[in-house]
Amino acid sequence: MSGAFRRAGLVLGLPVVLFVVWWFASYDSKDFYRPPLHKILEAFRDTWFGERMVQDVLPSLIRLGIGYAAALAVGVTLGVAIGSARWLRALLEPVLEFLRAIPPPVLVPIVILLAGIEDRMKVIVIVSGAVWPVLLNTVEGVRAVDEVLADTCRSYRIRGLARLRHLVLRSASPQIMTGARQALAIAIILMVISEMFAANNGLGFLVVQFQRSFQVTEMWSGVLLLGLIGVALSLAFRFVDRRVLRWYYGLRAVERQPK
Amino acid sequence: MRRQLAALLFAAALLTPAACGTTNQPSAPPPAGQPDKVNVGVIAILDVAPIYLGKQKGFFASRNIDLTLTTAQGGAVIVPGVQGGQFQFGFSNVISLLLAQSQNLPLKIVCNGNNSTGVDGQDFGSLMVKGDSPITSAKELEGKKVAINTLRNIAETVVRASVKKAGGDASKVQFVEMPFPNMAAALQSGQVDAAFPVEPFQTAIRDAGGKSIASSWVDAAPNLTVAAYFTSTQTMETRKDLVDRFTAAMKESLAYADSHPDEARQIITTYTQITAAQVAKLTLPKWPAEINRDSLQKLAELAMADGLLKAQPDLNALLPSA
Amino acid sequence: MSQPVRAGRVGQVPALLGAAGLVAVAVALELAPRLGLVPAEFMPPTSTILAELARQLQRPEFWVALRDTLVTWGIGLGIAVAAGTVAGVVIGTVPGLRAATSSTIEFLRPIPSVALIPLAVLLYGARIQSTLMLVIYASFWQMLVQVLHGVVDVDPVARDTARSYRLGLFARIRYLVWPTALPYVVTGVRLAATVALILTITGELIIGTPGLGKEIAVASESNAVPPMYALVLVTGLLGVTANLAFRAAERRVLAWHPAIRVEAAAAL
Repeated sequence: MSGAFRRAGLVLGLPVVLFVVWWFASYDSKDFYRPPLHKILEAFRDTWFGERMVQDVLPSLIRLGIGYAAALAVGVTLGVAIGSARWLRALLEPVLEFLRAIPPPVLVPIVILLAGIEDRMKVIVIVSGAVWPVLLNTVEGVRAVDEVLADTCRSYRIRGLARLRHLVLRSASPQIMTGARQALAIAIILMVISEMFAANNGLGFLVVQFQRSFQVTEMWSGVLLLGLIGVALSLAFRFVDRRVLRWYYGLRAVERQPK
Repeated sequence: MRRQLAALLFAAALLTPAACGTTNQPSAPPPAGQPDKVNVGVIAILDVAPIYLGKQKGFFASRNIDLTLTTAQGGAVIVPGVQGGQFQFGFSNVISLLLAQSQNLPLKIVCNGNNSTGVDGQDFGSLMVKGDSPITSAKELEGKKVAINTLRNIAETVVRASVKKAGGDASKVQFVEMPFPNMAAALQSGQVDAAFPVEPFQTAIRDAGGKSIASSWVDAAPNLTVAAYFTSTQTMETRKDLVDRFTAAMKESLAYADSHPDEARQIITTYTQITAAQVAKLTLPKWPAEINRDSLQKLAELAMADGLLKAQPDLNALLPSA
Repeated sequence: MSQPVRAGRVGQVPALLGAAGLVAVAVALELAPRLGLVPAEFMPPTSTILAELARQLQRPEFWVALRDTLVTWGIGLGIAVAAGTVAGVVIGTVPGLRAATSSTIEFLRPIPSVALIPLAVLLYGARIQSTLMLVIYASFWQMLVQVLHGVVDVDPVARDTARSYRLGLFARIRYLVWPTALPYVVTGVRLAATVALILTITGELIIGTPGLGKEIAVASESNAVPPMYALVLVTGLLGVTANLAFRAAERRVLAWHPAIRVEAAAAL
């Protein structure tokens, strides 16, 4: 019982402290751009519940979901291919590094040119940025497969799909999950950026609209909502992570047991 | 104390570097004999040619102003910049300023920025369709997509005015936000049915075969004041003489630019990447020295009718005393 | 085994392949507009862009902008890496701190840095500090996550050994935590550098801080399409150069790590 309390205390402790301090410190703030926390929370309640949830937040989340899934699929597939074949990596690396270095807001007008202004464009923007951590980490993970295991597989003549599944992917999966986590953060950022240009609905779109019409309190409430969504997705990710990498964490836990 | 604590927390929580050199105080008067250092936030577009020209001609230096022009990306950056003290003055379109005022931002317009030419069919921005489009009037835009560069701002207000003037129902028009450079391609490919570009994009679309169906600046109000220079009320109260000198220099610059269009074109090539050959073809805005208050009143009414402004703005508080 | 690595031959093949990849893309982008696959006035052929790049290189404004971008990038990255490493090592090593800060980190981390733009603009206007705020905010989390992973990944046997030798906190960090975390740190620096560059250009583009991003915005607003692409090309080249530099550093620093060792051994 005390274990659960202790866990809850650790999770909530620092955030609660910061929240309380923020509340009191900003209570009668007259600063236009830093409104009092209680006003932000009021705006939060008034702005987001109701129509906006369905009209704007939901489409944003759906686009985020599709973009993220696509980024994972593309990133892992390409990553395994590139990580396994040294020549492919050498061939593509400069091109990929080049594409990755182009900042998304610069890329968006070009993507609009090629993919239009509908949801398809926004998903492509999300994929174009979120794919990189997945790709890079998959490549790293595949490169760093333990030599002893690789040799063992070779002696047992484990090749092809089985080798891919049991050796490569499994070995690389902790690294891939690291990449997937980073990709999630990037995907959220790109969801906002993709809605800054040529959009007419969405969470990011609304936050930018509020900013442009100087509705600062509503804008802050939007930022708060983005943070909450980020936390929720992050927790969901951790849940999935713990299940998928059960074997890895189990292994580490066993190794950590005092002898 | 609380404000400082709040600021400290934000900084700590967001791990920003310690605030170095934020100036939230209005510019202090310089030591005797030295000119005032003034930083003006502008956007690198045609509209601000007069201030560049005025600086080149020495209209500001002669009034003891050491002028620095900083280009930024729009009102969303310039307005906080003026409030935060980075800029003493800023340039912004009037709807953004009305929106800011409606949120009780302490701003004051000091002088005119630029106006519509007032001539239908020969303005620096127009409602355009592609060459072979069947649309010939703004009324036919009901149910169609129109590309504008910023939603819920001045472009939307004036395009709606065009639709209303042509007898159409503006609420049936679907507005799409799109950066200016993308409008030409979007028109050609049919992604949008019409667009509202300003120079240099208007000429570029025209060169590619597009045609104008309405001059929205003109449809909104005669000789519309599109943008203005503004400052914070704090600067207005504490540095009135600087504001007066700046305003006088600006009026001289505006009048000069208006009567010397060739020099205006030349100066445009220095602060943008528009070439001399291109700038010769562009339609310039008009630069009267005085703000057209009636046009602002009309624009505010349009914005309120569209639901963009929720309440009647206090134009007298915003505009300089006549 | 005492044969020296034939560095010359080893270095050439990947470099040639890389160059081949780039050339292939360049050719494709030359042909696509010329064949009408994409509209040429909005996406000019490679030759036009390269010619424009040559012209840009002669403008002093270009070099000033490049310097501004590099300075912003360098400062932002430096601060983020330092802060991220220190924070990561401290949070990872001091018992209990990780659990206590975990929820706060998870909340702050996903807040998109672009959402901070209004705050940054208010505090610092369009000066370098506002872009720095974006850069540092985003890169710091990249670094922190990587370093935390590295610190946590310490080999249990090694940790037990350290405990039996009663190594103090600093000794543990120096001999145990740091070597384990180092690959993660190096990857982290590389990733943070990329994020930092992207956000530097983004800040310059959206806020208007002086630099390449701002030049891109001005070109775009002037409808000067070839200069815009030329500047985008420069941005990409910066990223590529940085990546090559960091990878080379990675190879030097981590010569003992399995992934590098395999390739070096295979080259013999």
